Amino acid sequence: MFGTLLSLQAKQARRSPAYQKSLVVNIILGFFIVYFALIFIALGVFGDKILAEFYPDQSPVVSFNSFLLFYFLIDLVSRFMLQDLPVLAIQPFLHLPLKRNKLVHFVLLRSIPSVFNLLMLLVFVPFMIRSVVPVHGIGIALVWLASLLLLTFINNFILIYFKRQLTSNPKLTLLLALLVGGLMLLDYLQLLSLRQASTVAFGALLQQPWLVLVPLLGMVGVYLLNYRFLINHLYPEEIYIKKVSAVEGSDMAFLNKFGDTGKLIALELKLIWRHKRPKSMVMISAFLLFYGLIFYTNKVYLEGWGMLIFVGIFVTGSPMFNYGQFVPAWQSAHFDALLTRPISMNQYVKAKYLMFVPSILLVTFLTLPYAFFGTKVLLINLASCVFNIGVNSLVVLYFAALNKERLDLSNGSAFNWQGVGASKFVMMLPMVLGPVAIFLPFSIMDIPQWGIFAIAFTGALGIAFHRQLLQMLAKRLEDRKYTLAAGFRQH
Amino acid sequence: MIEVKDLVKAYSDATVVDIRALHVAPGETVGLVGNNGAGKTTLFRMLLDLVRPTTGVVTSKDIPVAHTDAWKHYTGSHLDEGFLIDYLTPEEYFKFIGDLHGLSAGDIQERLQPFHDLFNGEILRQRKYIRDFSKGNQKKVGIAAAALSHPELLILDEPFANLDPSSQIRLKNLLRSLHEQFGMTMLISSHDLSHVTEVCDRIVILEKGKIVQDMQTTEGTLQALEAYFTV
Repeated sequence: MFGTLLSLQAKQARRSPAYQKSLVVNIILGFFIVYFALIFIALGVFGDKILAEFYPDQSPVVSFNSFLLFYFLIDLVSRFMLQDLPVLAIQPFLHLPLKRNKLVHFVLLRSIPSVFNLLMLLVFVPFMIRSVVPVHGIGIALVWLASLLLLTFINNFILIYFKRQLTSNPKLTLLLALLVGGLMLLDYLQLLSLRQASTVAFGALLQQPWLVLVPLLGMVGVYLLNYRFLINHLYPEEIYIKKVSAVEGSDMAFLNKFGDTGKLIALELKLIWRHKRPKSMVMISAFLLFYGLIFYTNKVYLEGWGMLIFVGIFVTGSPMFNYGQFVPAWQSAHFDALLTRPISMNQYVKAKYLMFVPSILLVTFLTLPYAFFGTKVLLINLASCVFNIGVNSLVVLYFAALNKERLDLSNGSAFNWQGVGASKFVMMLPMVLGPVAIFLPFSIMDIPQWGIFAIAFTGALGIAFHRQLLQMLAKRLEDRKYTLAAGFRQH
Repeated sequence: MIEVKDLVKAYSDATVVDIRALHVAPGETVGLVGNNGAGKTTLFRMLLDLVRPTTGVVTSKDIPVAHTDAWKHYTGSHLDEGFLIDYLTPEEYFKFIGDLHGLSAGDIQERLQPFHDLFNGEILRQRKYIRDFSKGNQKKVGIAAAALSHPELLILDEPFANLDPSSQIRLKNLLRSLHEQFGMTMLISSHDLSHVTEVCDRIVILEKGKIVQDMQTTEGTLQALEAYFTV
């Protein structure tokens, strides 16, 4: 029976529209996957060298162990934000003569083969082979790896249990994140060293391999907890988290001042707030604000210009890129409604533009502290802000109109490729390479500051002519509306 | 009101709609009947400029509907869930539609008054999003929103489907009274022959995209339709 369920699952995956993509998208996705996989494997292979560099007075294995507890805590927090519950597609089986307990086991075991659980193997396995095996031998190394996997699974099942109980409560996630942050701070201040504890715990494991029983028992424990809960709640309305809580209609009064365009914006803000996918996209965008830290803390990048321009464009524009790439597909479920109501395409496009601009301004404001890394960073980010408003917002709208795939808003956005088309990747090229291309001649003439001004100036031109440009975009959308509407109607 | 001329919609392998001419006079109520795949919904979508005709034109008040906005101000329509903004509460949705037509909160309330019986206390003040309503109640929301602006032209695709018997009868009376009070022109498709003959004073039968019969409703219309569809 497990085999039948598995083969059905495989069919579901293979036949889901998300997998039936064009060749181009598959190639690009494949490229990204290989790229990130290589990075992770490299981390594992060279982990010992990196750790020896930072902590020369202890063995790489000890250093690695010291970070593990923190890793698992962070893993748990990020799961709360990113991981979706395994799709419980067991409803069609509930009325059939199948054993209930088998169904529950199936649902739970189904959750194990997922990116979240297996990704870190790419780091753990090479590190184990390079560093753990030579010191402790293959047997103990395998036990070490097994306990890491078990801890990963424990996280997996903890998440499933809590997410089903509490639904995705953003406050809880925030609390958890603050807790981990606090622990890190305590560790940094050497008040309470979690890293010490981690070193001791995993060190003991390497000395006494039977301790692997501890994570094993832990995993059996959380597994049974989930099992007990599910077997007692095997009703679709109790398994599926569909909380229909009482909602109050709201009116965003201040937006009424902007007439019909304001109403369209209010409508869109409600769309973001009342669906899982756009909401999680906003959260991811908030995290991308910290993207700059990766580059700004590195001297090599900080001395150059090109990379900083890329980072500036990306950081000040990330919410717009993330959200804008799916305009108008966000509204695919009610696109017909918009087309038959007295809303002109001009208004529609303008409403999108007027949503992008404040988001860019807000993000630019939030990233002002990056000025700490030098006025150069500040200058580049401000120029990027102007360029994003003037040029990239229109580029996003231009390419987004190519997207005619219906968007499913009820799933989270992390690792969600549903509705992602090749145009998404194509549109990144002019948006990122454009400013660099403007900058290049000035850089060659050795007057890079002027290059930055040129980027800002191009953006300012875009702002000055935004009315005309938006009209052109509206015209284009008007021409494509039948194609879009027909695509959006296909489930 | 509506003038259809040589309207054809053909996909690569099939012609779905092929109508030489169809004229709907102001104040007329036209019922569209036909089996699945007869082209009713596609015809409606072309009337609403949602599907690009292969050839031919649809004009509303002598202005082609394609790429114009004028008709949107006097046309109300509900074809399917795609016409609902399902993450709003019904109140928010009515407010949004009302705002687009320049209606005040009082206007909206007054215009929803006749829908009171149809709503049966299950639509307003439920503190639920439209997506969480049953199919039948979603349909009621859609029909009310379509009629909210008291449009000169009302287009409804299978308004009686998914409704319970009482609601079907209430809706029938409601549509008739809207027609009498405001002289609304109506285009209604339905699989329920008796309802559609009661509401409409003209019946058009579509088959495989073509108009095969076009008749004024009389005493014998229902029997004639039943005879036509009996195979």
